[in-house]
Amino acid sequence: MAEVVVLRRSNPDGRPLLTLLGRVYLGVAFVFLFLPIITLLVFSFQKNQYASIPGQGWSLRWYEKLFSDDMLLSALSNSLIVSPIAATAASIIGFCAAYAVNRFVFPGRSTLAVVIVLPILIPPLILGIGFLGLLSRLHLEGQLLSVIIAHVALTTPAAMAIIQLRLSQLPASLEEASWNLGATEWQTLWKVVLPCAASGIAGGWLLAFTFSFDEFVIAWFVSGFQPTLPVTIYTYLAASADPSLNAIASIIFVFSGLLLAGAELLVIPMVIRASSPGRRSVPA
Amino acid sequence: MADIVSEASTVPLTNSKKPRGRTNRLMIAMLALPTFYSLVFFIGPLIFLIALSLWKVENFRVVPAFTLENYISVGQQMFGNSNYSIAILQSLYVAATTAALCVALCGAFVLALVYTLPSRLHRLALLLAVAPFWTSYILRVFAWQILLAKRGIINTALSAMGIDWQLAVLNTQTATRIGLLHYSAPVIIVILFVTVKSIDRDLIEAARNLGATRWTTFRTVILPLSRVGIVLSFCFASIIAFGDVLSGSILGGGAGRSLVGSVPLFANVIMSDYSGSTNLPRVCVLAIIMVLILVFILMAGMKGSEAAQRSIS
Repeated sequence: MAEVVVLRRSNPDGRPLLTLLGRVYLGVAFVFLFLPIITLLVFSFQKNQYASIPGQGWSLRWYEKLFSDDMLLSALSNSLIVSPIAATAASIIGFCAAYAVNRFVFPGRSTLAVVIVLPILIPPLILGIGFLGLLSRLHLEGQLLSVIIAHVALTTPAAMAIIQLRLSQLPASLEEASWNLGATEWQTLWKVVLPCAASGIAGGWLLAFTFSFDEFVIAWFVSGFQPTLPVTIYTYLAASADPSLNAIASIIFVFSGLLLAGAELLVIPMVIRASSPGRRSVPA
Repeated sequence: MADIVSEASTVPLTNSKKPRGRTNRLMIAMLALPTFYSLVFFIGPLIFLIALSLWKVENFRVVPAFTLENYISVGQQMFGNSNYSIAILQSLYVAATTAALCVALCGAFVLALVYTLPSRLHRLALLLAVAPFWTSYILRVFAWQILLAKRGIINTALSAMGIDWQLAVLNTQTATRIGLLHYSAPVIIVILFVTVKSIDRDLIEAARNLGATRWTTFRTVILPLSRVGIVLSFCFASIIAFGDVLSGSILGGGAGRSLVGSVPLFANVIMSDYSGSTNLPRVCVLAIIMVLILVFILMAGMKGSEAAQRSIS
């Protein structure tokens, strides 16, 4: 009898008022989180020069203006060169590091794990100044290559973290079975580990791409006359609030929305699996 | 490649251990790239930061030297014209208040998520909460600018609804905090979600069975068990806030007002010092000061989370 009472009391619906309050708070929080994104999406289609309510009607003029804006377009194409290259390099380096840390015991293993992840804790401002110093010494400053080099260092930790999460969820017996069946370590790596880690690698790549695509401070220091998109947007913001920014924002938001859908479908299940120790499911 | 294959095929089938002999080569191959890259392009810039701070500028060019000139001149201006000390104070104040706000609001969010939503919705809710993090930070800051502006969306909406009261936060550090909160909330929500999710539900049920109210359960079970997560997320949020430049410069308007005064954040001072003087060695000294403060925050956070860990076990 007592157990029945207990079950009812620990039910989330036990205290409707508190539950309601919690849900209202969640609603308000989601409005806060999505307000900026919705704002830019809506006002990119509004006639207003200065965003205000009520709006002045719908229009595509900011999109037209955007596509005749050479500065924004060349910055966008710079970003579309830098970010995929940086993300690919970061995923390769991240995979190597994650595999080594996951699989081997070697002197300096924990140091490597820390050093690889450290850039995420260091503000990009500091890295930007350091990179500017180093790259200008190597005569590599002020070009797209310098942004790529810096972004690889910046995004490798993120890629590595996701890949390692995936690798740590693969049972060690998988590799052992492959060895037992006569495969070499390289074959095992190529034909067993890599395909099994593919979702982690894809997630890591998307995360690295997003970090690089959005990164501002380091690019501001090292890009010189080859600004990436965030750097140019900052220049626009410093001058005046140009609604062309709304238009490019909408395009980017839709773009990031697609990336996000892909990445979160890959990454969030891994995080949730890692955080619920009770149910250890066999990785697919 | 062929010799590797033939050698591996001699490994007996019953051997459940890894094939011997080639391990070192694979390990070195896998380690070479990450080690090289992090040495040259991560440790490299940081060491260069220190080296550069000892160099000097001659005829607008940075030349190698070994001088403490930059340190002395920054030290002299610590309390002088440039007022670095006030900017550091402003940054610490804004970072600490933002982090506290962020942990409190995100903590409430996670509790509401975990304890008022049915568990099949947890994943979706977390997915949505993290979504803004994937979008461009500078564009979100721009959105907050047009939302919070004097004749911006929120204020014009208020007057359209016939409300006299107007929001006047743009170009103050309050707006900086809003931008920073929006930036760090997804990260902190994930950290706290993992923390709260890992609390054994049986403990909560047990407390409730024994007659504890929801509030008592929260205070005596959930809060103590979340201490490590709370300390870590506070530390993380302060590091993000202390190193950030965008919210302070676009929403805070450079020198936003706060209780400390209308002073820019330290990060913004560093950036404007660089664009104003392009004196890289001097900027390096400022960057080193920033690193030292961050290391201090990080160490305090580590100590704090160790203490919290000990208080549980």
